[in-house]
Amino acid sequence: MSPEIVSQLSVGGSTLVLLGGLMMLWRRGVAAHIGAFTFQSVALAATMAMVGWFAGDWQLWAVAVLLLLVKGIGIPLLLKRMGRRFGSERELEPYVNTATSLLIGGLLVLLAYIVTAPLVSVSRLPTRTGMPLAIGLVFVSLFIIISRKKALTQVLGFLMLENGIALLAVLGTHGIPIIVEIGVFLDVALGFIVMQVFVYQIHETFESIDVEQLNRLRE
Amino acid sequence: MSPWLLGPVQAAVALMLAPGLVGAIRWMKARLQSRQGSPPWQPYLELRKLFAKEVVVSSNASWLFRAAPFIVFGSTVTVTLLVPLLTVPLPLGGAGDLLVVVYLLLLGTFFLALAGLDPGSPFGGMGASREMTVAALAEPTVALAIFALAWGAGSTNLGQIASRTLITPSEALAPGHVLAFAAIFLVTLAETGRLPVDNPSTHLELTMIHEAMVLEYSGRYLALIEWAAALKLLVFFSLLGNLFAPWGVASAITPGALLWAVLALALKLLALGGVIALVETHIAKLRLFRVPELLSASFILALLAVTASFLVR
Amino acid sequence: MTATSAPFLTLLLPPLVAALLALVLPPRRLLSGAVHAALALLSLGAALGLVHLVLDGGTPTWGPTDLFRVDALSALLAVCVAFVTTLSALLGPGPGREQHYTPAQIRRFRVFASLFAFTMLVAVTANNVGVMWIAIEATTIVSAVIVPLTVSKASVEASWKYILIGSVGIALAFVGTVLGYFDFVTLVGQRESALNWTVLLANARVLHPPVIELAFVFILIGYGTKAGLAPMHTWLPDAHSEAPSALSAMMSGVLLAVALYAIIRWKAVVASVVGPVFPNRLLVGLGLLSLAIAALSLVIQRQYKRLLAYSSIEHTGLMCMGLALGPLGVFASMLHLVNHTVAKSMMFFLSGRILDRYGTPEIGSVCGLLRVMPWTGGLFAAGMLALLGLPPFGMFLSEFTLLRAGFADGQGGLMAVVLVFLAVAFVSLLGHLNRMLYGAAPAEVRLGEGSRWAVLPLAGCAAALVVLGVAVPAPMTALLHRIVEIAGR
Repeated sequence: MSPEIVSQLSVGGSTLVLLGGLMMLWRRGVAAHIGAFTFQSVALAATMAMVGWFAGDWQLWAVAVLLLLVKGIGIPLLLKRMGRRFGSERELEPYVNTATSLLIGGLLVLLAYIVTAPLVSVSRLPTRTGMPLAIGLVFVSLFIIISRKKALTQVLGFLMLENGIALLAVLGTHGIPIIVEIGVFLDVALGFIVMQVFVYQIHETFESIDVEQLNRLRE
Repeated sequence: MSPWLLGPVQAAVALMLAPGLVGAIRWMKARLQSRQGSPPWQPYLELRKLFAKEVVVSSNASWLFRAAPFIVFGSTVTVTLLVPLLTVPLPLGGAGDLLVVVYLLLLGTFFLALAGLDPGSPFGGMGASREMTVAALAEPTVALAIFALAWGAGSTNLGQIASRTLITPSEALAPGHVLAFAAIFLVTLAETGRLPVDNPSTHLELTMIHEAMVLEYSGRYLALIEWAAALKLLVFFSLLGNLFAPWGVASAITPGALLWAVLALALKLLALGGVIALVETHIAKLRLFRVPELLSASFILALLAVTASFLVR
Repeated sequence: MTATSAPFLTLLLPPLVAALLALVLPPRRLLSGAVHAALALLSLGAALGLVHLVLDGGTPTWGPTDLFRVDALSALLAVCVAFVTTLSALLGPGPGREQHYTPAQIRRFRVFASLFAFTMLVAVTANNVGVMWIAIEATTIVSAVIVPLTVSKASVEASWKYILIGSVGIALAFVGTVLGYFDFVTLVGQRESALNWTVLLANARVLHPPVIELAFVFILIGYGTKAGLAPMHTWLPDAHSEAPSALSAMMSGVLLAVALYAIIRWKAVVASVVGPVFPNRLLVGLGLLSLAIAALSLVIQRQYKRLLAYSSIEHTGLMCMGLALGPLGVFASMLHLVNHTVAKSMMFFLSGRILDRYGTPEIGSVCGLLRVMPWTGGLFAAGMLALLGLPPFGMFLSEFTLLRAGFADGQGGLMAVVLVFLAVAFVSLLGHLNRMLYGAAPAEVRLGEGSRWAVLPLAGCAAALVVLGVAVPAPMTALLHRIVEIAGR
């Protein structure tokens, strides 16, 4: 695979991953959000596999498979179960409406391009062209966490943030050392499980997962 | 064949094919919905019928009402001369600029909206305001998406954009291209009045956008407007087809190449028509306040297309 | 166990073993409590042993690619972590203590608090930046599980904010870590040990300044969220006030210090690449903002645990600023860290006793503390005076040294502003303290100290504060001097 094709493919893959994040801003409803996350994880695994093929690094393949299993299949299954419990709630209007959210998302992607200009100029890897999109996903995920009102959506925003960082690592460095990668995976999986337990707890205590209700502690 | 003759030939081909395209889409939708459906050449028969019918004009209407159909039809036919339908380079050479195309189409929309307001009918006014909302939101996206393509080609001349993809075929799968395609596809749905923005076969006035504006028209005026709408659909489809997959377009003006180009165009139109039919069968119409969300999404796609083609230079 | 692995295993294994045992042993028995405490003491002993090794001039390492490495900074923080863990084992939820927790809650607390201690110890002894990050993220997860030990609307809200904001912050810190690794890889190539502190520092001169500056911004925001620096501090007052007191002591006392440890390590790397001006400016900015917000919030507080939480933000802000004021500032900052650990953990344990007795977290409802629980009240007053920065307690010495460092560094105006905020905090804390100590005790509150022996460790803490304020022990000073060398300019 020539470097130009790798460059095109990495931009293509990163764009799909970023689109998954933007779909979270666009579509409403828990099922659509879970679908966006699954799509994003699959696109990320595919990009990782592509970079692994180009770099000839079997460890990246292993990580891609792990990512697919955990984030493409495992976590969405758990999320769907949660979605069935909490998804039938009233469709909550987020703090920022959809059209404005999408525009802000676009602006954040532009901001990411500006911020990562030094990175792209320093690197010599052909996959560097997708790095601004990865940082763009990080910013968009932060925006999702801040502007959405359902605890479940905030958890999805956090998972997308981790996806963005994984994409950045793959594109910028062709993968981080395997111990760290596995450790990060375990951390995210554990974090997700604990967050899941908390969402159930919130639902039990507050009778809804609307985070606007979490306002008793002030000052 | 002289290049000057090419323009009228291209326009004639477009005029001939446009109603057939609308008929084909209608037929495909009917078959998908397990209906018999009217035959694909039905719109031709409708046009013939309309041209023979009497024109009834409201007493409140002014000269604008009678002039609008001609302006709309004329501007759309001019656009067919400026887009890469059959050949590259274009018959009118340097005049085939993207911005000219966009604003000619907008001119048509503008006059149609005015004509909707002119007779003073409430449905006409409602349709006109809705149409302008959609057009205003869709316009920046079109410009931005073709700008993304233009960046790669180095010029906003549509012919040059198309020929660039012919020269380097791998450009067709470039992320910037694909995103621009998606963005223009969404805009096509909006501008040509297709689901999920507007239902072209609705008979409920409160759900109409385009149909509401032309509610007052009859006879040959209605025929001209319907034909112009079909032409607009054809223009957008040919933009989608020939800018992103320009294979089949004639680069030399020989009868053989032109015939081949007409065939390729017909095939692309049918393919895109099939996609539209599938989309329309599966999606319900969006409520009007949700349309800006769809158009914002297409705007973001266009923005990403620009940044993607900016990066991978 | 070889000679190199012994100190590390004795440091890291006991908390892990304690967590496993707590799963198995019946929580109500005094024996399991004693085992728990004994393991914590073992860890503490190992930490002190490591200090001894470091002072002798060595930097013990262990593991493949030198995965674990202890220098002066790690050793100091390991001692702090082990110390507060021991206190929590002695004074935390358990049978026969005045708090009434169910056996399931006691078991859950012991398991996760031990895991919490384990992850913190791994974080401060890891040589690998990635492993340190994994450990710090793990601290968020395990501590978040036990914040809502008693489930209520307030504690559920607090724990949700904690885990969400904490995890997001840590993820941003990871972005910074990846950017640092990215720069290294671009210049030197992929290496198994590329994420080691030692390797990063050695190659610092080669790295690109703009990339490292961007990385440091992310890292400061990320680990700053965990350390409680403003404007990312919003989770702290909620989490630290709703958690059980022993957990609050561990979080306020050492977790903030561990997050600060991460910032110190990265600052050393960044300062070698881009010079001290850029990181110092950022640290001063965030530190001053934290100090300002905390001091002003202290005035309007109505609950004493939230009061202590905001005080933690204030002191973390001071420590952060100290790091930017040259070698003397680093010395002051580290001394302040030790003092704060001792004082804040003591205060949280005391507030736990007050909460059990009075049954309310409101300052207004707690009156006549000196009459109800003389020893607790007295120690609470001593601790509060220590937090205010009054002599003869240690904080006075560290704050004074910090101000001196500021003036020596030419930041006179900044120090004047700091003094103003310290004065605001002084007045508000003193006012709240007065309201709590004196006055008539409420009728339904039982008089008398309760379990006397639980007060002894806390009295020991207060004594330690006095010692640190009057005459800092020589080993401590030597350790701090070494830290100044490590932490750089």
